[in-house]
Amino acid sequence: MGDTDTVEGAEAAEKPILERIAEAPADHYRILKISDLGEDELFEISQAMKLSLSREDMLAVQGIYKGWDREPTDVELEVIAQTWSEHCKHRIFGAVIEHEVDGEKETVDSLFKTYIKEVSERIFDSKPGFVLSAFHDNAGFIKLDDEMAVCLKAETHNHPSAIEPYAGANTGLGGVIRDILGAGKGAKPIASLDVFCFGAPDTDMDDIKADDVIHPLGVMRGVVRGVRDYGNRMGIPTVSGAIQFDDSYIYNPLVYCGTAGTILIKDIEKKVGPGMRIVAVGGRTGRDGLKGATFSSAALDTESHEGDQQAVQIGNPIEEKKAADFVLAARDKGLTEFITDCGAGGFSSACGEMLEECGGTIDLDKIQLKEPGLVSWELFISESQERMVLAVKNESILALQKLADLYETELTDLGSADGSGILKVTHHGETVCKLDCSKLHDAPVRQLKAKWEKLTEPIDAPALENAGRTLRGLLSDFAIVSREPIIREFDHEVQGNTVLKPLAGASGDAPQDASVLRINGSERLMSMSLAILPEWGKTDPFAMGTACVDECVRQLVASGADPDRIAILDNFCVGNPEDESELGALVETVKGIAAAAEAYGAPFISGKDSFYNYFETEDGPVSIPVTILISGIGIVDDIEHVTGSSLRHADSVFAMIGHSGAQLGGSVFARRKELGNAEVPATNFETAFACYRKYYEAVKAGLILSAHDVSEGGLAVCLAEAGFSGKAGLEIDLCSLPADDEISKAALLFGESPSRLVVEIAPGNLEKVAELFDGLPFALLGRATDEHANLRIEWGKEILIDEPLNDLKSLWKNGLAQYY
Amino acid sequence: MEERPCAVLLKFPGTNCDEETARALETVGFLTEVLPISALKPESLVGVSLVVLSGGFSYGDYVMAGKLAKLVTEQKVGETLKEFRDNGGYLLGICNGFQILTQLGLLPEGSLVQNTSGRYQCKWTTLENRASDSPFLSELPETFEFPCAHAEGRFVTAKPEEAKEYLENGAAALIYAKDENGSFERIAGLQDESGRVLGLMPHPERFLYRQDHYDPDWKDEDASDWGSGYYFFKSLHKSVTSAD
Amino acid sequence: MRKIFEISDRFIEAGDANGLLYEPLDSGLTFRRTRRYEVEFNGDKAAAEAFVEKTLFDEISQELHEGEDPALSDYSFIVEYGMKPGALDLEKEAILTYYRGIEEPGFELKDLAIRQRLYVFGGSGEDSDRFVRDICNGAVHNWNVIKKNG
Repeated sequence: MGDTDTVEGAEAAEKPILERIAEAPADHYRILKISDLGEDELFEISQAMKLSLSREDMLAVQGIYKGWDREPTDVELEVIAQTWSEHCKHRIFGAVIEHEVDGEKETVDSLFKTYIKEVSERIFDSKPGFVLSAFHDNAGFIKLDDEMAVCLKAETHNHPSAIEPYAGANTGLGGVIRDILGAGKGAKPIASLDVFCFGAPDTDMDDIKADDVIHPLGVMRGVVRGVRDYGNRMGIPTVSGAIQFDDSYIYNPLVYCGTAGTILIKDIEKKVGPGMRIVAVGGRTGRDGLKGATFSSAALDTESHEGDQQAVQIGNPIEEKKAADFVLAARDKGLTEFITDCGAGGFSSACGEMLEECGGTIDLDKIQLKEPGLVSWELFISESQERMVLAVKNESILALQKLADLYETELTDLGSADGSGILKVTHHGETVCKLDCSKLHDAPVRQLKAKWEKLTEPIDAPALENAGRTLRGLLSDFAIVSREPIIREFDHEVQGNTVLKPLAGASGDAPQDASVLRINGSERLMSMSLAILPEWGKTDPFAMGTACVDECVRQLVASGADPDRIAILDNFCVGNPEDESELGALVETVKGIAAAAEAYGAPFISGKDSFYNYFETEDGPVSIPVTILISGIGIVDDIEHVTGSSLRHADSVFAMIGHSGAQLGGSVFARRKELGNAEVPATNFETAFACYRKYYEAVKAGLILSAHDVSEGGLAVCLAEAGFSGKAGLEIDLCSLPADDEISKAALLFGESPSRLVVEIAPGNLEKVAELFDGLPFALLGRATDEHANLRIEWGKEILIDEPLNDLKSLWKNGLAQYY
Repeated sequence: MEERPCAVLLKFPGTNCDEETARALETVGFLTEVLPISALKPESLVGVSLVVLSGGFSYGDYVMAGKLAKLVTEQKVGETLKEFRDNGGYLLGICNGFQILTQLGLLPEGSLVQNTSGRYQCKWTTLENRASDSPFLSELPETFEFPCAHAEGRFVTAKPEEAKEYLENGAAALIYAKDENGSFERIAGLQDESGRVLGLMPHPERFLYRQDHYDPDWKDEDASDWGSGYYFFKSLHKSVTSAD
Repeated sequence: MRKIFEISDRFIEAGDANGLLYEPLDSGLTFRRTRRYEVEFNGDKAAAEAFVEKTLFDEISQELHEGEDPALSDYSFIVEYGMKPGALDLEKEAILTYYRGIEEPGFELKDLAIRQRLYVFGGSGEDSDRFVRDICNGAVHNWNVIKKNG
């Protein structure tokens, strides 16, 4: 440390910090002398090396090394930075938050522990044997039948998609597929979902207040093509998805990718033991994605687009397909003892995770290179794609090499596990890293502040002058228009098991509520669905949380899943967690999802979060609203239970399950009418779940022909969509619907109260179904008719809507076509 | 007890419909081996009645769909597939497999290029059976549906007259009921002169069961639990076993 | 030795250029695409040409043009772009992997660069910036614009 009063001291102080404190015992690594540095200098190092570690973090690191009585190497600091990064360690979900709601204070000690983990664990206990693994492997598993399990994992890949949409989305999907391949001893990927949040495709370029921001249409095209080209090549059907459009996503597009998988229950448990060899399979290692996980913890601005030349990872799906074929074959031959994927943090995270308990040595010289000249830390944390890491018995190596040759993928022996408990890394004969990984669990707990104030109030519903015109407007709104041009880019039929497809019904192009997949090797099927409602969260995040869980569960149930065998995921995207009200919205959302999950007995089996989704524009920072995605899987016992959403028979009757509330807040209608802070509907868990259980009984008894859930656009849109099968017209009367007193016509037609299902029943079965729902909100809604092909909705004698279904369908079907 | 006929399903890096295609073959009675191209030798086809090239993206579809697979296959086994066919063997190419068989010269001349929409298209198509005496199509009705999923499914010939010729001489075994991707003469599938080689863009293996159809009320004429794809593979099994 | 091969598609008609842009232009522009392969090699020229024709070119649906001059004419401008060094070019990797698997190629392939060419027809050539902005991304591409002289 130089004394800045002298000339020499002044010169020394001007030298960059890394030059001052680094010692290079060899070309490929450095020792960093941090033991005597002050807080400011420690933080400077974090910035210079782009570690994204805070002052407290750096002080903690200094403390750890003082305890070991030595200085760290650059490799070790990079490993710690990766391990403590938001992407790998949920620093914010694990923080202590001082939260204030409408003046009332509370302390949340870890959102994750309190609202996700403990809630789920209580549910696990109430349903022994249902959840087979959660929160510690790459994906969570639930029981399908006595032999098999299914899993789901979802991730976000936002910042890279903002910079290069095609590559970002491409590698986002590639990454989550690898999570499934690394779950258990290797799960087989069977279906994917993708959810996108973009600015509107018709955004005026002049309205974009920053340079270097790709127009939302460019982002949309790039992202869709990126997901398409990876998923289609991997032979994994993309069956579920959603797209949200909002101005705040212009600067911060969001890309969620999820994949489901299957596995034999006996292949879920895995363990690394001393003497096992650590091998890598798949693509070679290069400079891709250096600074990925830590980079995603920093906010974006114009400069970050230019400087991130190395941060854009390019995906090679054929490489991953060959590795996947190998992984599944190795598992089936009993050659795999443990497997994990190389994702954020590359080999450092994969080997770190694998050798956490057992310890072992990795030799960087063994790594197969794409390009020469990588130094030790670059090799160890490179995020080159399409790599998996396995722990295998020594005697299995020959058989594994044969398999690798058969599937034309490269196998590399990296090192071994030794039971020492220490992660040792060597390069060119020197030890460049020696870490006791058990010490790395102690990342400092962050202390944060949050605040939420109730924003909503009851308002008078607007008068409906022309409900038909309003309906037409809704069907043409970007929120509701058909996503068909995009859906058809994704192969949703590969593997030949997509029984309920995203577009189906008699015409093959009507929207369905969930996708149901046959599972090879089982009589049972798996339903998959999702819900995302950022508009609700702008004014009532708690209600958004409950409604998202409710919608996901209700869609799974509608398609034929058992309400008591559903598991869900929570994936969050948040703006600035250091902003009190943004964090407050997050806290309220988490409370909402936890309350619903607990009430429905639907445990969380995995989740992920992405922070710092805000952008510094010329006019100041633009942050996204708290955007939660709830995705879920449910067990369908019998293919006869699979239920679609489209009108089937011209002589059917229609009934409504669920109570219609007067609140219009959060709805697409409210947004279009600029109803601002209108109250958002709450979810009544008890009634809703009782209805779902009764519905399931009706399904099992073969009493339900089709069912469509009421969501965006409300009841009128729901009925129109059901009618898009083209089989018949609809005659509907709203008079006897269970609803709030004095409910407005606007709320009846276009409100988005949760927990409602419109069901199609053969006329002879109406009585039986009504009996099941005795004591619950249930009423006759109307009937199908072959007398006309319109959607006719009446209130008593008043005709509110009378529109030809074909016209409505054309509006809906073509809305996105000119953009995509 | 009758022995089951053997089918070999050739798999390239990037082939991805192999599992469900093997399932369809096994369901109708073929003993099926999925064989990665790295292990293919001329001897691999001894005792084999049927070689199948299933759908997917062999070598990523880079350069042109099927091109690299053709080059690698020729490199590995030269004219073996032609000899196999000439000795009475059957060859089936589905989607990417159709593209590869075309490149290998085992089907009448033509190329599969980008759909006129410029997009990938995953949708069901109605097909017209133009060769009900084909070993592959004998159990199928005059019209039926199969799902398609491709970006390079447009069949073209060097001169348009050649495609017309295929319609007249029976080479065009399947056509789309309406234009789906700009294929000349709406050709969806081709057979060679022997009738033992068929290539088609649609995917029969994806419609093995009744419930695979998008319309929950769809059933075949006999209200069975089978989809039209079953009858496609059943035709083939029947032809292969009766030819012995 | 260095040879340039440009491949165009016979059956793909000129498309509406607005489909490539984020905000449409009112000028009735159309476009066609070609791929340009710059092959650097040593050894037998005929073997190299045969390799290119066999691997990269389809006689039935494509046209092969050799040399520096653009394959198509009557364009207003060309936006030529490709993956920048260090960014993965999947097509190039597939071709090189195939080449390395050939036992006796008869020539030595030293380098291969693949460039996409977007030919835009109609208009005055003033709008090339818009196309560059909406198609090329500095994070993974490098590019240049060729204008029609006269």
